[in-house]
Amino acid sequence: MKHKISRFLINFAYYLQSSSKYQRRKRFFYNILENDKYKYKKYFDIFMITLIFLSVFVLIREVKHHIDDHLLFFNNYVVSFFFLIEYLLRLWVNSSTSKIIIAQDEYDTLLGREFQLQKALKNIVKAKISYIIQPKAIVDLLAILPFFHELRLLRLFILFRVFKLFRYTKSFRTLISVLASKKFEFLTLMIFTFIVIFVSSVLIYVMEGNNPESKLESFYEAIYWSIVTLSTVGFGDITPVTDEGRFVTMLIIISGVAVLSFSTSLIVSAFTEKLDEFKEIKIVEDVAKLKNIYLICGYESVAKEVVGKLKDKKKHIVILDEDITRVNEAKKQGYKALNFKPGSIDSYEKQLHIDFKTQVKMVLCLRHDDVENIYTTLTIRSLDKEVHILSLLIHDVNKKKLKYAGVNEIIYPQELVGMITKELVGQPVAFEAVHALRSDSSLVNIEEIIITEKIIQNYPYIGDLNNKEYRVVLLGLYKKSYDRFWFNPIDDTLMQVGDTLIVIGYTPFIKEFERQLHKKKRK
Amino acid sequence: MKKSTALIFGYNKFGQEIANSVNNTYAHVVYYTKVIDDQLEIDNEVDIKIFDLTDDWGELEDSIEIESSIAFCVMSDEAENIFLTISLRAHFKDLIIVAIATNNESVHKLKMAGANKVIPIIETTADIITNMIEKPISNKVLHDVLYADNSLKIAQIEVKNAEIFGSEFPADIDWSRYRGILVLSIMHKDLSAEFIYSSKAKRRPLENGDILIVVGYRADIEEFEKEIGGIKHANWSDWSR
Repeated sequence: MKHKISRFLINFAYYLQSSSKYQRRKRFFYNILENDKYKYKKYFDIFMITLIFLSVFVLIREVKHHIDDHLLFFNNYVVSFFFLIEYLLRLWVNSSTSKIIIAQDEYDTLLGREFQLQKALKNIVKAKISYIIQPKAIVDLLAILPFFHELRLLRLFILFRVFKLFRYTKSFRTLISVLASKKFEFLTLMIFTFIVIFVSSVLIYVMEGNNPESKLESFYEAIYWSIVTLSTVGFGDITPVTDEGRFVTMLIIISGVAVLSFSTSLIVSAFTEKLDEFKEIKIVEDVAKLKNIYLICGYESVAKEVVGKLKDKKKHIVILDEDITRVNEAKKQGYKALNFKPGSIDSYEKQLHIDFKTQVKMVLCLRHDDVENIYTTLTIRSLDKEVHILSLLIHDVNKKKLKYAGVNEIIYPQELVGMITKELVGQPVAFEAVHALRSDSSLVNIEEIIITEKIIQNYPYIGDLNNKEYRVVLLGLYKKSYDRFWFNPIDDTLMQVGDTLIVIGYTPFIKEFERQLHKKKRK
Repeated sequence: MKKSTALIFGYNKFGQEIANSVNNTYAHVVYYTKVIDDQLEIDNEVDIKIFDLTDDWGELEDSIEIESSIAFCVMSDEAENIFLTISLRAHFKDLIIVAIATNNESVHKLKMAGANKVIPIIETTADIITNMIEKPISNKVLHDVLYADNSLKIAQIEVKNAEIFGSEFPADIDWSRYRGILVLSIMHKDLSAEFIYSSKAKRRPLENGDILIVVGYRADIEEFEKEIGGIKHANWSDWSR
């Protein structure tokens, strides 16, 4: 019998592990419950936060007003039901039972012995209990219990639902992590505070407890008085009446100031130390949500100019540089810059968590150092074969190496200067005309209009475009299917979806022309 | 028309690329360098002269025809490049000076020092990169038109027989009758440049001496030149930024 149960469990565990449907569902629930980067998680969090606030609202309202039975039912049972489902799902996704069974089976097979069912079950229970005893899980469990309402004291346990907010609001978690970084200092402070409270409570109780003029009746009141005084709040409901008592008060007030200033400075220093880390985490999170990213590797003079121009065009830019000074400079300009090594695989896989296929439009290796650019290119190529890489070339002897590393486009400034000079010397006016077309500051621009299905429906032939009416020069048509540019095409040229019109004109006129192309042709 | 000498100050990669680009235009290409960079291969066929920034240029004045020469200031040290430019300008009023600069501050100083044209390397490189990203197709087309050795070219043509256009305004002329030529802009005699469809170009007829910036195939441009005038060569004295 035991053997049969073991066999069934093992088979079932293997079935679950290999079932893509099951794994997909589990991954989905894991993402929605635990993965902050999952785009739909925020909607789930908002829903849960709404339920929590609704519960607290009912609790507050109930103090002095009658609550509708339906709302009470909703609060006690429906909300609790949601919390229960959430709790069970968290318990499910937190550890994999099937994995534990398979691991045990493989281990036992390796040792040539029978499957140890008890050991496997023990490991499963251990894994689940280790989750259950986590403070967050305890809060979750307490927030579920629906009988709060019946027991008046336990009703206050609804406030545990508020503690669940820790799960859904990141700033709470941030605060906790900041305070946790100064655990030792806070522990020291706490011990000191306890000693001060205890000593002063004993002293004041001994000195004033028997004095008929004193309002101090019990040791509990002495502790209360000590805490109120130490915190510098001082309600004044209990005041010392003897000289000895007043002396203790002076000591405790001085200690209170010290405790407060020490704890304030602790919190401030913890935040200051963690600030850069938080900013970096925030940037990484922001980057995870971006698409069509231009990844700039290296922030030197060319990169600065390029980034400035791309920013004007509202492109998503992410800068990586191993030099903290350059990163800080980029941050000062308001860019998303990270102090990660562009040439390290860890920068992309472990730190940035970026997916080149879905998120990156182009990588620009703009260090003024060919070795660094080649190194970065090879790193990126090892992660993704397809992403478009553009690199700066500083010494032409390295051109082949850059190509070999996998760079798609190489920019060699010296060669550019040579080409520019040739044109400048030969045809300066023409050169200036083209330069103006390329420059952003010029009123006349060259633009690309991609032919869409709608444009084809309205204007199938070049001759139909009527660009002259919009004061636009049609330089030519780039035919995608042929990967070729047709200069000044004839009127009978048939356009296809994906082709690109290259037009020159004043920007507003080009925009108007483009708008017109998407409207129905006038008869 | 060939200019007699191209003087390249700075024997480095920039200088070499410039020399390769202009050696068909100028009869002589001479490098002037303070020191010879060990890392650069020395071409035995090139003329390299050692110079000092304190030189008074008297020797240079005697050996070349300044009016038909051009100087490229491409020294790697920004301050020296500016000093060289001002030194050349102080001595040669009519020499065409083209200089390179690595930042905007130097661009301004080089212009003040008397350079006719300054090429801002960083900005130009960034412009090219941005254009490649933003408008890859048009960037390639313009690059091919300007630099590649293909038949599609851009040319500046001086109008010599404007009477063939009658009273037609440039924007109204059907340029397609000229074998598929596209006219992009016009530079008038008063040096004001206009886009072909600008309001001014729609109201001002062409006159002899105006320069048309045209794009077309080499053969078509040559035909067009025959019909309306001739190639306008660089007028450096009027052309500076």
